Amino acid sequence: MIYLKQFLFSFLSTVGFSIIFNVPKKSIFYASLIGGIGWTIYFHLKSVTSSIMFALFIASIVIGILGEIFARIDKKPVTIFVIPGIVPLVPGYGVYLTMLNLINNDFFKFAKIGTETLFSSGAISIGIILVPSLSRLLKSKKTLK
Amino acid sequence: MYTIMLIINWSELSIMTENSKKLILRIALYAGEILLRNGAETYRVEETIEKICKSKNLKYVNTFVTPTGIFISDDRLDGINFIKRIKNRTIDLSKISQVNTFSRKFVENDISFEDALSELQQINKEEKYPKWLVVTFSGIASAFFALLFGGNFYDFIATFFTSVIVTLSFQKMELLSETPFLGNTAGGALIALLAIISKNIGIVNSIDMIIIGAIMPLVPGVALTNGLRDFISGDLISGVTRVAEAILVAISIAVGVGSILELWKHTLGGSF
Repeated sequence: MIYLKQFLFSFLSTVGFSIIFNVPKKSIFYASLIGGIGWTIYFHLKSVTSSIMFALFIASIVIGILGEIFARIDKKPVTIFVIPGIVPLVPGYGVYLTMLNLINNDFFKFAKIGTETLFSSGAISIGIILVPSLSRLLKSKKTLK
Repeated sequence: MYTIMLIINWSELSIMTENSKKLILRIALYAGEILLRNGAETYRVEETIEKICKSKNLKYVNTFVTPTGIFISDDRLDGINFIKRIKNRTIDLSKISQVNTFSRKFVENDISFEDALSELQQINKEEKYPKWLVVTFSGIASAFFALLFGGNFYDFIATFFTSVIVTLSFQKMELLSETPFLGNTAGGALIALLAIISKNIGIVNSIDMIIIGAIMPLVPGVALTNGLRDFISGDLISGVTRVAEAILVAISIAVGVGSILELWKHTLGGSF
């Protein structure tokens, strides 16, 4: 039940961001589906393993894979699905909080939240960059044979 | 006699290709410009430019793309160079997708250069979603974010209206000033102000959920992630530029929110 709620909220939130990012009408559903699934997986893994970085990494790998699949179904570049899909995960609030602590002279919190934000962002970007490069590797292997 | 014929032929050929070469480079530059202005990754811009040039037999094209400019030149021949300065970037995924389709079509088929240029112009002019729709949906996105982080129904309503007002004023501010920083600072200040007001009227119990939700369309989370992605794929200058931009945008939002909160807490003596 709680997963359904989380999925619904992140799905609808990604619909909003798809409109902001001007995703083509037909692709909005796929992009939002990715956003919802990615967040739900992150939410589950975060509560199970209690490691935010690991949860983000796995969730963004799943987002990358789903992006590749939907890109082939819908015949659009992968970015169209991945950028709205990672929006619920990216630490936008973390970046803001880091800077808020910096201008409030709270350097300990600045360092703590800042590092967390940087590594979260890094985990997501490694996750979504891993899948296209792996799929490219598989494709080149096929053509070499 | 034969050699003279050959020389004449060769010079004719090079004159003929001189113009078409410029046209091909211009098409490639235009495609790259549209991609970069609308938030494509650096490697995608470089790949598209090189693909377009190589399909028309320009094999020694070099491109160097940063988020603030595109440089294209042919390092073997006659020093044709193109530079394009890119001043502002937004995220418009529809245009990225259309340029992608265009470049695939241009590489595989024989399209005349004039047609290609006019098609790119058409892509560039294409309208986004209407403004009222974007405003409404940024309200919806923010409101559901507030729920996602544990807000209740009242937070949802308050965040929706806060975000709608902030997005409307942010769009107006964007028209007024060239840099995004003024708009972001004003947006942050407005969010904090509206959050404090709705707390004091008694709609919500705490201002946190409104700030978390309404700030989401402004904060540069995607920009930071894209910057790190550029770092990982080896485009170091692009990575530095994007991360620095993300940090500056975050600072300007934090200045807006932080100054209003400080003012409320210490000068006016209010509580949260």
